Amino acid sequence: MIAGIRSVFDYVVCVDDGSADDTAVTARRAGAHVVRHPVNLGQGAAIQTGVEFARRQPGARLFATFDADGQHRVADLQRMIDHLDSADLDIVIGTRFAAPEAAATVPPLKRAVLRTAVWLNPRIRRLGLSDAHNGLRVFNRRVADGLDLTMNGMSHAGEFIALIAENRWRVGEEPVEVLYTDYSKSKGQPLLNGVNILFDGLLRKRMSR
Amino acid sequence: MNWIKVLLIAAVLMLLIYLLLSRRSAQSRAWVKVGYLVFVVAGIYAVLRPDDTTVLANWLGVRRGTDLMLYVLVMVFAFTTLSTYMRFRDLELRYARLARAIALTQAQPPEPPESGGVRPPPEPQ
Repeated sequence: MIAGIRSVFDYVVCVDDGSADDTAVTARRAGAHVVRHPVNLGQGAAIQTGVEFARRQPGARLFATFDADGQHRVADLQRMIDHLDSADLDIVIGTRFAAPEAAATVPPLKRAVLRTAVWLNPRIRRLGLSDAHNGLRVFNRRVADGLDLTMNGMSHAGEFIALIAENRWRVGEEPVEVLYTDYSKSKGQPLLNGVNILFDGLLRKRMSR
Repeated sequence: MNWIKVLLIAAVLMLLIYLLLSRRSAQSRAWVKVGYLVFVVAGIYAVLRPDDTTVLANWLGVRRGTDLMLYVLVMVFAFTTLSTYMRFRDLELRYARLARAIALTQAQPPEPPESGGVRPPPEPQ
């Protein structure tokens, strides 16, 4: 997978969120930079770490977040980069719901929950997004420099959207396909976690930064 | 409506406002101390003259002093739970930033492939 991404990006950063296996060795061998959290912090924290590492690299211009469980496709990534450049956007987010045939591959219950999440959040609707919780994102320096995710766990996607709205980043969507393999399903979050995400989203604004 | 209902609802609303405005300033910490002082004085008084809590309860529309104590306890517990929750969130964020700083200082570059010689690291775009 890392080799695949390296066909598009020169730099790949793999954030090892405190895992005990040989993830770091494998990733480095495949050509990725590895940043290892000394303790497990959660996905949101891992994304922030990866972006902070990447934005320190001189000359870094384009950034992407890519889930490591193999659910995203490199071909989608390439199209998102083209979209970002051609439409002069700050950030492009993948969506599972732009094309009906792509949406059909999402498990029905998951689809309903994700749809509800979008429907419940007026901010997402105002930005014209159809999939709030897609892990595939491409963005430019402006977004990378401004990114400050404080939700360490699974609520970062909503926080990402909030940051887009607050900073008035120009956002666009690109249809992508998410491969629901058994592995990515086992690594995915249980739907009940949506309750946590909803609650975190409501609390976020009230928290001091 | 009984006075106790007004008071309990007011306490719940206070809870909400506290939650919304909580910025952990020196001022708010001072108020926590003042609140604790009031609690200690009231507690000692209630222990020494338990019947007076019933009198107070009756003023408020509650029959027994013990019931009043229970209501107060529930409210205090809710305050404590929420403020602990907020504090944990804050702590978690600091902890994450600390761990991130450590992680970034120990970032490892890619390993050159074992076979086929050493490849130079890719140039930035």
